[in-house]
Amino acid sequence: MRHFSEVCALMRRKNKKQYALLAGCCFFSVLLITAYVCMMRAPTVLNVLPEGGDSRKQVMMIFALAVIGCAVFTTYAAGLFLRQKSRETGVLLALGASRAQVWGELGRELGVLSLGSCAAGAALGGPLAWVLWQFFRLAVVDSEEMRLTFDPSAYVLSLAFSAFVMVMIFFLGRRSVKRTNIIDIVQESHKSEPIRDVPRWYGPVGIVLLALGGFLGYMSSSFFILVLHWYPPEGLTAVFYVPALIGLYMILLHTVVNGWNGKKKLYRDLIATSQMRFQGRQTVRNMLVMTLLIAGAYFGSFYAPMLGTGSMMGYDRRPVDYAYHFRADQDIPLEAEVRALAEEYGVTITDFAAVPMLRLAVDGNDHIEEEGPVGTTWRTEYLEVLNSNLFLSASGYEALTGERVDLAPGEIRGVLDAEGTALGFRPDATLLTNYLTKERLAVTPLEPLRYDSLFERYVMNDGDFARLGAGLPDEWRETQVCFNVENCAGTYEFAKALFNEIVDRSTLDVAQFDGWDPVVRDRDIAKDGFYFLDRENCGSAGFTVIDYGQRDSSAFRLDWQYMPEFRILDKMDFVKTLAVFLILFVFIAVVCFSAVFVIAYTRCMTIALTNAKVYDDLRHLGASNAYLRRSVRGQVKRVFLVPALVGTGLIYAFYVMIMYFNGSPAGITSSEAAGLLTALAVIAAVSALMVGVYRLTLAQVCRALGIRR
Amino acid sequence: MLTVENLRKSYQVGKTSYEVLKGVSLQVETGEFVAVMGPSGSGKTTLLNCISCYIPADSGRLCLGKTELARLDEDALAEVRNKQLGFVFQDFLLLDGLTVRQNILLPAIIGGLVSDMTEARADQLCEVFGIAGIRDKYPAEISGGEKQRTAVARALINHPLLILADEPTGNLDSKSSRAVIRSFEQAKSALEATIFMVTHDSYAASFCDRVVILRDGVVWRTLEKGATEREKFQDLLLDAVREMGRE
Repeated sequence: MRHFSEVCALMRRKNKKQYALLAGCCFFSVLLITAYVCMMRAPTVLNVLPEGGDSRKQVMMIFALAVIGCAVFTTYAAGLFLRQKSRETGVLLALGASRAQVWGELGRELGVLSLGSCAAGAALGGPLAWVLWQFFRLAVVDSEEMRLTFDPSAYVLSLAFSAFVMVMIFFLGRRSVKRTNIIDIVQESHKSEPIRDVPRWYGPVGIVLLALGGFLGYMSSSFFILVLHWYPPEGLTAVFYVPALIGLYMILLHTVVNGWNGKKKLYRDLIATSQMRFQGRQTVRNMLVMTLLIAGAYFGSFYAPMLGTGSMMGYDRRPVDYAYHFRADQDIPLEAEVRALAEEYGVTITDFAAVPMLRLAVDGNDHIEEEGPVGTTWRTEYLEVLNSNLFLSASGYEALTGERVDLAPGEIRGVLDAEGTALGFRPDATLLTNYLTKERLAVTPLEPLRYDSLFERYVMNDGDFARLGAGLPDEWRETQVCFNVENCAGTYEFAKALFNEIVDRSTLDVAQFDGWDPVVRDRDIAKDGFYFLDRENCGSAGFTVIDYGQRDSSAFRLDWQYMPEFRILDKMDFVKTLAVFLILFVFIAVVCFSAVFVIAYTRCMTIALTNAKVYDDLRHLGASNAYLRRSVRGQVKRVFLVPALVGTGLIYAFYVMIMYFNGSPAGITSSEAAGLLTALAVIAAVSALMVGVYRLTLAQVCRALGIRR
Repeated sequence: MLTVENLRKSYQVGKTSYEVLKGVSLQVETGEFVAVMGPSGSGKTTLLNCISCYIPADSGRLCLGKTELARLDEDALAEVRNKQLGFVFQDFLLLDGLTVRQNILLPAIIGGLVSDMTEARADQLCEVFGIAGIRDKYPAEISGGEKQRTAVARALINHPLLILADEPTGNLDSKSSRAVIRSFEQAKSALEATIFMVTHDSYAASFCDRVVILRDGVVWRTLEKGATEREKFQDLLLDAVREMGRE
């Protein structure tokens, strides 16, 4: 051995585990980010995440978390690697190696290591996303729109992250060699990471700040919009979450430095607490990232069960098996044809009702947005003709529901869903207008009715119905059909056939996005020259263009104005219809939890690496195997348990808050309660997995420290 | 060989500045074995670190031969450390991934000087210091004394002008300490090495030609061994330390 590079090669061989750990961390972080990006930017996914919609924002938010998490743990792994490397760097400098000589070798090593691991991660990220996606297709659901396509531009983000990893590693490496004081470098590996004394009030105050920040962050947007009539600029409401982040940091700091047991178990936990304390800064930083990632992962995990439970309960709660409505100028199957089709499929229809409805203009407060010096504000302006709603006669309502409604002339009742949720529908019209004849009727809105399948309709007196409907053309009239069948669960084929028949026979005139309103359309065209929900404008406005050829897509099923409500069809096709959403969020959860496990594992292995001498000393002082094991368990448990408890509690409380405040009136509906229970089941399953990883990690740490089981 | 004139060094801790060396002056002649003793905080290790060029002095003059160290740039200092100085540390600082022989050769490898002759010298040093039997072993497989003798051999591989030793017996038992001190004596007699050693250990210091006692950052007293017997010289050193404690 005569050359410096040969010395470095020997040292590499000796420290191959440290090289493998750093390379593994780089590989894993780039792999996860690439897989995430490939998924997030895939046209398959983008097609079902509306531009500017909440789902896309959530996906972006969790992506940002995943990037931060991966960046932090890769930086941490690089720092750890260089700390361990610092002793040999220091020895070489002390023996007369120049910094250029040391950096030449170290730089080459870091270059090969980071480039190789990042390239492997980036190359395998796409295939990983594809394999996971295919697995979900096979295991969960498969449909035409589930075919995954990739957008090559996704790799730009992946490359950017890889570049960050490489630059960061080079920067840290260069800095470690550049330090002027060789003594510091020689002693680097013996240095602890002290943190200042933390007052005991940090814990309780942290909890208060966390709760306050969560509440303020969530409510600030509503406060600005509903109370101040002002749309805050993007990002402003995020500022209100800052106390939550500070609170979270304070809680973790208090947990690591002081612990929550006070002086009760001071001596029992002395070693574990002290060692954690002297690696406090890094530990708290890691735990903070883990907490946020766990919260993000659960946020993704809860999406599917919350949506699934809520939707399934909604389908079961429907009072009729089959309900559909259509414009009177459409040639859609009515009772005779439906019965004939049912007979063909061996389905017995037990009752059948088809009643006419009128589309009448109603008054109300228009929501007008204005640009001003403080940004966008809004005001309301009362309009006698604001928009249109569908109206049933009292007798028609009775024919459909079997429920008698007595309404005097001039009285109307809106229809909410069975849980009394309004979801933006305010049944408080006081003036009705026949849009064609301009005939008007002042009305008094009474207590709303509740009937799922007729949500957002109004019911009016029979006489008023006849009078106001006179002269309305078919485009302003509709028919509401409701019927039940025997053995609904066995009628999927019939439901499918009837659905196809309805779609096939609907003309392009009714290929409209849900919410399309002829009254609003006329006003918008008069004012702006176009109506954003017209078919030709939908696409550019970010809304689904209704295409009868895509009748099985989630977009069509969610957004077509005349989408029938067939219980069995919706139930059977639910997973398929929303498969992209479900799998995307499940995938996000998998990515985030994987990152959490890797961070926790790396952090715990650091305990083994940095504290090996402490455990040797304890052994020399007569500590038993059980004592050493308890001390290690104390630290490993804290790394896993604290972020898991805080992250889980945090996101669950946040979800409960969202569920509580998202309806009108505020409260938790039975379907939301069921969804929250299902989310608890998800927590139980993930926690079990986490316990498994915790035990595996504990075993590895004990093995590294020579502590028996 | 080594000239230290009015050397000053202070450390900044927060807003407070602590002056550790308050004008130290001394000289080490070629072939001399000199020890620096003194209580904790007297500035021994700081003095050694300044001479080693690990930390810069605030003021004063440091000359190695005819070279004034403060005037050298980073690369030249590295070359001085590599070719003109040899180092022996308290905790050995051997590289775990290299064998004893490879560790000894390390300064030569760093300096790009390895030839057949260098390898032969490494083997000769192994013989001189009684570590030939373990030359293919790794540091984890040998005792503390053997590690320190390896470090002494490593310090000598490039024929340095001066060996700087920082508490070389600090981590060793008495038997290993004796072996290391013997290796310094051998280096001095057989290889004509000049040695500058910082130590707490009066036994180790009693082997030196001269002992410089530091107190509160200045030279308090210098004791010459001359023809005095080693045991007697150790007693003189202990008396001096006791006297310093009384003042």
